[in-house]
Amino acid sequence: MPEPASLLTISGLCKSYAGPVLSDVSFDLRSGEVHALVGENGAGKSTLSKIIAGLVRPEAGGMELRGEAYQPRDKKDAERRGVRMVMQELNLIANLTVAESIFIERLPHRFGWINRRQLHTDAQKTLQEVGLGDLDPSRQIKTLGVGQQQLVEIAAGISHRCDVLILDEPTAALTDPEIERLFAQIAKLRAAGTAIIYISHRMEEILRIADRISILRDGRMIATRAAQDITLDEIVRLMVGRELGQAIHRRGAGVPPAISVPLGNRDGLSDDGAVALRVRGLRRGSAVKDVSFEARRGEILGFAGLMGSGRTETMRALFGADRRDAGEVFLDESATPAAIHSPRDAVRHGLALLTEDRKEQGLLLPLSIRANLTLLCLRQLSRFGGWIRSAKERTEASAWAKKLSVRCHSLDQRVAELSGGNQQKVVIAKWLFRDCRILIFDEPTRGIDVGAKFEIYQLLADLADQGKAVIVVSSDLKELLALCDCIAVMSAGRIAATFRRGEWTQDKIMAAALSGYLQKQGRGGIEN
Amino acid sequence: MHKRTSAFSRTLGLATAVSAVWVLAGCGPKEPAPPATPGKPRVALVMKSLANEFFLTMENGARAHQKAHAADYDLIANGIKDELDVSKQVELVEQMIAQKADAIVIAPADSKALVPVCKKALQAGIIVINIDNKFDDAVLAASQSKFPFVGPDNRKGAKAVGDALAKKLKAGDQVVIIEGAPNAFNGVQRRLGFEDAVKAAGLKIVSSQSGYWETDKANQVVAALMTEHPDVKAVLCANDSMALGAVAALRAAGKLGQVLVVGYDNIAAVQQLLKKGEVLATADQHADRLAVFGIEYALEALKTKAAPADRETPVDLVTGETVSGKP
Amino acid sequence: MNSFSTSDFRRLVTDYLGMAVALAALITVFSLSTEHFFSATTFRTIANQIPSVLLISVGMTYVLVIAEIDLSVGSVLGLCSAVLGVALTKWGWPLWLALPAALGAGLASGAFNGLVSLRWRLPSFIVTLGMLEMARGGAHAVTKSQTQYIGAAIEGIAGASVFGLSLPFLLAIVIVVVAQLVLSRTVFGRYMVAVGTNEEAVRLSGIDPRPIKLAVFLITGFLVALAAIIDTSRFQSANPNAGTGFELQAIAAAVIGGTSLMGGRGSIVSTFFGVLIIAVLNSGLAAVGARDETKRLITGAVIVVAVIVDHYRHRLAKGKGT
Repeated sequence: MPEPASLLTISGLCKSYAGPVLSDVSFDLRSGEVHALVGENGAGKSTLSKIIAGLVRPEAGGMELRGEAYQPRDKKDAERRGVRMVMQELNLIANLTVAESIFIERLPHRFGWINRRQLHTDAQKTLQEVGLGDLDPSRQIKTLGVGQQQLVEIAAGISHRCDVLILDEPTAALTDPEIERLFAQIAKLRAAGTAIIYISHRMEEILRIADRISILRDGRMIATRAAQDITLDEIVRLMVGRELGQAIHRRGAGVPPAISVPLGNRDGLSDDGAVALRVRGLRRGSAVKDVSFEARRGEILGFAGLMGSGRTETMRALFGADRRDAGEVFLDESATPAAIHSPRDAVRHGLALLTEDRKEQGLLLPLSIRANLTLLCLRQLSRFGGWIRSAKERTEASAWAKKLSVRCHSLDQRVAELSGGNQQKVVIAKWLFRDCRILIFDEPTRGIDVGAKFEIYQLLADLADQGKAVIVVSSDLKELLALCDCIAVMSAGRIAATFRRGEWTQDKIMAAALSGYLQKQGRGGIEN
Repeated sequence: MHKRTSAFSRTLGLATAVSAVWVLAGCGPKEPAPPATPGKPRVALVMKSLANEFFLTMENGARAHQKAHAADYDLIANGIKDELDVSKQVELVEQMIAQKADAIVIAPADSKALVPVCKKALQAGIIVINIDNKFDDAVLAASQSKFPFVGPDNRKGAKAVGDALAKKLKAGDQVVIIEGAPNAFNGVQRRLGFEDAVKAAGLKIVSSQSGYWETDKANQVVAALMTEHPDVKAVLCANDSMALGAVAALRAAGKLGQVLVVGYDNIAAVQQLLKKGEVLATADQHADRLAVFGIEYALEALKTKAAPADRETPVDLVTGETVSGKP
Repeated sequence: MNSFSTSDFRRLVTDYLGMAVALAALITVFSLSTEHFFSATTFRTIANQIPSVLLISVGMTYVLVIAEIDLSVGSVLGLCSAVLGVALTKWGWPLWLALPAALGAGLASGAFNGLVSLRWRLPSFIVTLGMLEMARGGAHAVTKSQTQYIGAAIEGIAGASVFGLSLPFLLAIVIVVVAQLVLSRTVFGRYMVAVGTNEEAVRLSGIDPRPIKLAVFLITGFLVALAAIIDTSRFQSANPNAGTGFELQAIAAAVIGGTSLMGGRGSIVSTFFGVLIIAVLNSGLAAVGARDETKRLITGAVIVVAVIVDHYRHRLAKGKGT
């Protein structure tokens, strides 16, 4: 069988910012293939794809598209040549409608007046293709959940005719049924001859849909293999350059915890299993309808469910970030409800919420790592009614950065410059600094590379072992299965089922997650 | 608003009205126009900045006059937020035309830009009297219109102030002039008057800069000039607010008493300084009478239908000896 | 610890060297083009002129750091000055009573700005724009639009001097130093920067941003009142139009100093440089006897150039920081 001709050939590509990001990268892409690009965060995947999409210019090296020299001046130029990228970061404008977002670059118009009807029907057709047929194109972007926004973004990308389509972490915010629909769409495009560069951390997806897999590490192209010739373990080994012990160590396994939280040991482990948080009858708008659950010390409680099932909203409401319509929160088996009306109250009661969107809601991106780490504990680091003790702040902050092995040049580095995994560690350190007893993690590993993911898992496990109550909301079911002692499954604003370790199977959890929607005949975007 | 209210609440009301006008930009003044009494002429007074003490005094003088002669005419008085808001003043004149006032007495914010709208008023059969700031002769000629100017001769007044200063100086002494806003007619006239006096006495102008009528700006300029030209003997300011700033600058430089200051307008705040000799002289244009002169002239013209001619109003020199205890 | 001192030094260089050079360049140009500019008198004169603008600019920098804006500072200065003037002349109050009254007017205006924008979640741009009108109206109402001559009763405040530097100048310098330390070294200062950077993240961290914001508006009102007292004393009179346009001067000074209008970034010392640059420019152009339009063109150009330079300075600092 002859080798199919290359559509896009790249050779000797180099690019550096502060240090080299890509060095001598060569790569080829064929028509009608799904070519996965994998590597840890910072390996150069995003830079490579941005160069292909015309967003970044290389310092050396050449590209050929259909045998002709290809040097896109900018994004527009690349798109004219048939190369298009759907970004990982959401690029949508909150106040526009779904239809406007999809067709923002080529709104149908007559003498400058937008042809609303045509826009609407075109958008509906495009949405149908990504399986969002039931989404009203005239809804505003800001009213959608993150997952739906991402699907709209993808719809916008594939609504254009293109030869090369780059998808950067398209499934990061999607639920399983949504992913299935996306994959069906990708298959259709591939059959039509479109070459797809697929960037993802989710190995099982890559093994499923990719024809070939290229592995980047530290800016170098390590290997390109046909998907059927490579195993998951091999990919991971090539990515990180070392074997990964995948097990998460829990107490009793004879492994010392990676971190020790000095203040957290206060209570000892004797009252392990005691109820730390009890939520009863929580309601908030249409998203949260009567949620009750318990979280115990020394345990990790997982929250599974589909996108929009109300998990994030539940956490925000119990934390006081959003106003509750009803419901009470009890702490430490107390019979009287805790007065939590604002995040301030929640923090005072020892709760911590690590939000889904850490860049927008968790971090002060332009500020230093140090300032982010110590924000919650400035009072303890100050004297004379508010003068910060700089030396103490530095030593404490660097101690915490070390404990969680935050990789940075200096503590004065801006958090914005860190990788996703390191940013997440900063957020976790910030809360641990405050000695919170109940930690709520909303999507703690979204957009984080494999190596850092396992570090985060280990951290969560260690926290539970310190006697803290840990709650994890995640759309990655495998993550929950590996990590949790107990999993609550939410569906349509209610807790549909709760399983303890050993009781659950993936099928049972999936069935519970769907249950709330099945009764309502597919409303909420779920088909049978 | 027929009923007299206290000066305080009137000012407050005015301030609110001005804000309201400004917030609802384009909507007219909130004060309802007095009902037209048959046979009783309605005179519209269109003022410049009511934030300026001088114009407020003018307007208050007019209101007092109307109160004393309530049987003779009705008064609609309006002003703009600041002296530079020319377009708002044009709108005011247009509204007065729409309300069919019998006469408009106007202190134009701009000596050129207000000519066309006043011509429109004239064509609508309204008598237009120009007060305070004389319309530009060239523009009047070009637009083939003529409005009688009733007001003081700023140049003559400034010359009188300059002459009073010159008596204390000798030929060759250095002086500086602090001008008003560069685009204001009366500011230019005052500068010319100062220059006339300076030339007659053989003094030397080392610098002539604008203080924009403001205490703070004049203070900055005078302070800088005192360092740059240490031999300056006198500062001629085109209004009293700027004279206050000049006095402060001299005090800071330790030159109060060595350098003489003159101003213009005779506002209440300089009267103490005149008595102390910190300000040598100023000119009194009888601000409280200025609008009244215009109104009286308008009423005359309404009766006689006479051809309009300019009328000069008095300007008095005020010095430490002649200053009265005027409030 | 050695690395800290070098990084501190580098920060000093990137933060202040540019502005110090610009200031030196301006002084050099004016010194060469005029006879007497480069003299102790000039600098004493400038030192005695800037305190009020400096205090207002300090307040404005604080407000900008928390990603808000206060357009009412100029009018509030007029109001405080009016209250002070009328209290001393018309109402015959003693100085010890009139001064707190003026400070009270400033604090009340700040409280209004803060409380209204927080309670109804209105942009401070709108609330303080309203305050700009109200305070000016109040100033005219109190004084009946007449400049109040006060005389020697109040001269002592601006008149007192130590080594040829006026009391207000020394006070302003102390406030600059304290304000800078509060911003960079205290919990409150850190909270201000954090709130200006990302208010929602701060709220979700369990820190209530509202008291911080209110405090900043109150501080600004207080500083404006201080500025009003200084100006009133300097002119020995209270003009209801005092402070017109000060809000833009203060914003210009802060922006020249590299304060971001988007919040989260600002330095009081840099703002001080901004004020100095504008003051030297004004003084020098007056000494040269520049035509009025030239003054405005140059002043405007300096603001724009300063912001462009700051853009590159900021990029440089970022690049070095990593």
